[in-house]
Amino acid sequence: MTLHVASTDTVEKPMSGADQDRQAYLAKLLAQRSPDGPSWLGKIRDRALSIVQERGLPSNRDEDWRFTDLSGLYKTTFAPAAQASLHLQDIESLILADAPLRLVFVNGFYAPALSAVDHRPVGLSIHTLVDAAPLAQLGQQQGMTEVFTALNTANFEDVVVIQVAKHQIIETPIHLLFLTTGEEPTVTYPRGLIVAEDHSAVTLIEEYAAVGADTYFTNAVTEVWVGQNAQVHHHRIQREAKTAFHIGKTAVSQDRDSCYSLTSLSLGGQMSRHNPLVIPTGEQTDTRLQGLTLAVDQQVADTHSDLSFTGPHCTAQQLHKCIVDDRARAVFNGKIFVPKLAQQTNASQLSRNLLLSTKARVDTKPQLEIIADDVKCAHGATVSQLDDEEVFYLQSRGLDRDSACDLLVEGFAAEIIEQLPIAQQRQRLLDAVLSEIR
Amino acid sequence: MTATATVENLVNQPYKYGFVTDIEVETIPKGLSEDVVRLISAKKNEPEFMLDFRLKAYRQWLKMSEPNWPHVNYPAIDYQDITYYSAPKAPAEKKQSLDEVDPILLETFEKLGIPLSEQKRLSNVAVDAVFDSVSVATTFRKDLAKVGVIFCSISEALHDYPELVEKYLGSVVPINDNFFSALNAAVFSDGSFVYIPKGVKCPMELSTYFRINTEGAGQFERTLIIAEEGSQVSYLEGCTAPMFDTNQLHAAVVELVALDNADIKYSTVQNWFAGDENGKGGIYNFVTKRGLCAGKNSKISWTQVETGSAITWKYPSCVLVGDNSIGEFYSVALTNNMQQADTGTKMIHVGKNTRSTIISKGISAGRSQNSYRGLVRMGPKADGSRNYSQCDSMLIGSNAEANTFPYIQVQNNSTKVEHEASTSKIGEEQLFYFAQRGISTEDAVSMMISGFCKDVFNQLPMEFAVEADRLLSLKLEGSVG
Repeated sequence: MTLHVASTDTVEKPMSGADQDRQAYLAKLLAQRSPDGPSWLGKIRDRALSIVQERGLPSNRDEDWRFTDLSGLYKTTFAPAAQASLHLQDIESLILADAPLRLVFVNGFYAPALSAVDHRPVGLSIHTLVDAAPLAQLGQQQGMTEVFTALNTANFEDVVVIQVAKHQIIETPIHLLFLTTGEEPTVTYPRGLIVAEDHSAVTLIEEYAAVGADTYFTNAVTEVWVGQNAQVHHHRIQREAKTAFHIGKTAVSQDRDSCYSLTSLSLGGQMSRHNPLVIPTGEQTDTRLQGLTLAVDQQVADTHSDLSFTGPHCTAQQLHKCIVDDRARAVFNGKIFVPKLAQQTNASQLSRNLLLSTKARVDTKPQLEIIADDVKCAHGATVSQLDDEEVFYLQSRGLDRDSACDLLVEGFAAEIIEQLPIAQQRQRLLDAVLSEIR
Repeated sequence: MTATATVENLVNQPYKYGFVTDIEVETIPKGLSEDVVRLISAKKNEPEFMLDFRLKAYRQWLKMSEPNWPHVNYPAIDYQDITYYSAPKAPAEKKQSLDEVDPILLETFEKLGIPLSEQKRLSNVAVDAVFDSVSVATTFRKDLAKVGVIFCSISEALHDYPELVEKYLGSVVPINDNFFSALNAAVFSDGSFVYIPKGVKCPMELSTYFRINTEGAGQFERTLIIAEEGSQVSYLEGCTAPMFDTNQLHAAVVELVALDNADIKYSTVQNWFAGDENGKGGIYNFVTKRGLCAGKNSKISWTQVETGSAITWKYPSCVLVGDNSIGEFYSVALTNNMQQADTGTKMIHVGKNTRSTIISKGISAGRSQNSYRGLVRMGPKADGSRNYSQCDSMLIGSNAEANTFPYIQVQNNSTKVEHEASTSKIGEEQLFYFAQRGISTEDAVSMMISGFCKDVFNQLPMEFAVEADRLLSLKLEGSVG
């Protein structure tokens, strides 16, 4: 697989003041780089760095960032995050009793004291950069030329590598916890590489949270390789601090006959963005994407998903839900691309949005691009507030108005949250959703 | 023969409007400059405000760049290689009666199925016939004048009703709206003007027929329809062009204004020359159409049947400002061979309790690209507004492309927006079912397509619904197999 920089922006235009500001900001970010690590990584980082420099940071004049304003991010100066030590009791509220395998990263650095990896089942290997052999698959997914993804590649401090050997079924979920701590605004670059070899199965919970940090920037990338007939159940929970910035990429490639499901929850961050990019490279794959975005106060929560088929007989289902309250804003752009080769594709996409206040705002764009003719593709989008009749029905059963509304919102959110494998976490998240909208 | 092969054979019908009328024309040299803009204005003997309007637009246009977001590909257009004014040579005086119109022109329109002469003309449709840059004839003007309806070419309106034109021209589509609308504002040569006075229900269908004839000429027409309080009008436009192997630019602007309780229905049957099967030639149809529901309870309804043009780039839109106003968009877009269409609508809800409906049917055959691009925006004050969108695509052959890009922007939680889309093809099983009942593949396909488009055709005035149905089956002839 080769990386190539697409040259879509060929027109040279004189730089405006804002362009110059962004460039200066990027130069400052890059000047802080102190990436070390094994020599094999150097090449990958250099390439990523040149991509970042060539592309520059986007603004809302780029179609992909039209609805999400990054100027808040560009106004904040972030220092590189330093190693910090936390105690187990600091993260108690995040630990899941039913997920005994846990890897914790603090400010991008692996924290062995907080992690629990002793009882590793057969066939599961877990590494970080220190003990990893050269990783042929790192940075090889498509979409690595996207500027924030390349920025992560050029900067990450550590990588968590999870490898599941052929024919191995890993029963217990693996909990990946990426934490940020510290008073100063810092930037961290969490990075994950998940390889599920042929006929294997694994469940992951990838969680982002803050411990005593307010304003910081998380720029995360997770690459997932799903082998032939392998199954990966991926759960991504973003619960950053309310004033944090979060930009994350989940890049997935699926070999033939594989199943990949992603449940993605976005709750935190004053500006958050998640880019799931799924490329089924083989035939007859199955892809499920479920997303829930909760945006309150002045939050801006953006999801840009991209599902590009390359072969025939694939199925995909996507459901993305947004709950938007106060003056918050949710953005969803879901692209499904069906090229000529992908005959017999069966794909559906639904974007459902719930507006709870008069100032809340939703921008949604479910997008289908289809060239194959023998396909079944459908998409839909709805935007509305709580249905008065539904509220009335519950009131007629003796609930007061507030509890009726809570119940309806809970039901709306539960459809996604219920996909999570651990009951304790489901309850935590439902409670979190309800406490936010009350 | 497989199902696809027959469907494909069905589509490849020769373009029957591809003839050229041999008529003496008056053209100005190719190219665009401030002098050309002044020349066009002078040729049309326009009032001062019009020249200012044009020059302002031209200066704006120089600063703008061509949009690159549509999902279409075409070589760069050389705007200096286009003739911006071309008219059949005629005495300076505007024809008072049809008898004075050049018989060749009448013949041309007759050949296109638009008889203009007294005896033959359609009894319930008033027609404004536009040939290249100018309007050659308008029928039924006197009958319409009796009820106070003004229906004439926009150049005549500029002389006879300058205050109306000045008030409304550019009020819905400002000159700096986009690259092509600015170009149009600078160089537009003619178009139709309709004014329906207060409380009048227009007694007949109004219609404009556009014909591009001269090679290398661009057509830039401008249509302005004003419906005063409580009035009602139904308007239809049709278009054809001869077959040339160079591309021609058509950049029109249509503005509709509906005041309180007014109702405008605008239908388009677009059949510009689409280029040959290799994509050579054809019209670039870059059109800005927008309706403003300015008054309470007003309604604007767009119906379009897009079958021609090498490239279609148009988004008939409704700006729903008046409370309780209604916007509708019904569209069938058919692309075949190398045609490209990026079309859809914009529904901008501003006022309270506004409602909009979007029904879009795309059929793509051959190696064509057919994209639906729509925007539904609920403004912060659009309490209780409602939108329903449905866009379905049908693919014929495995090389055709169908895309949907629906943008939904909601800033008000008391509104309700629904969007659905689906993509499908004519299945072999369906064709087999028809064959079982003794219906040939061709008939089966045309029945299925006509069923697929029914929601839209039902919106067209009777005569044109039949016409559109026939046009579609002709266009598709040879593409189904």
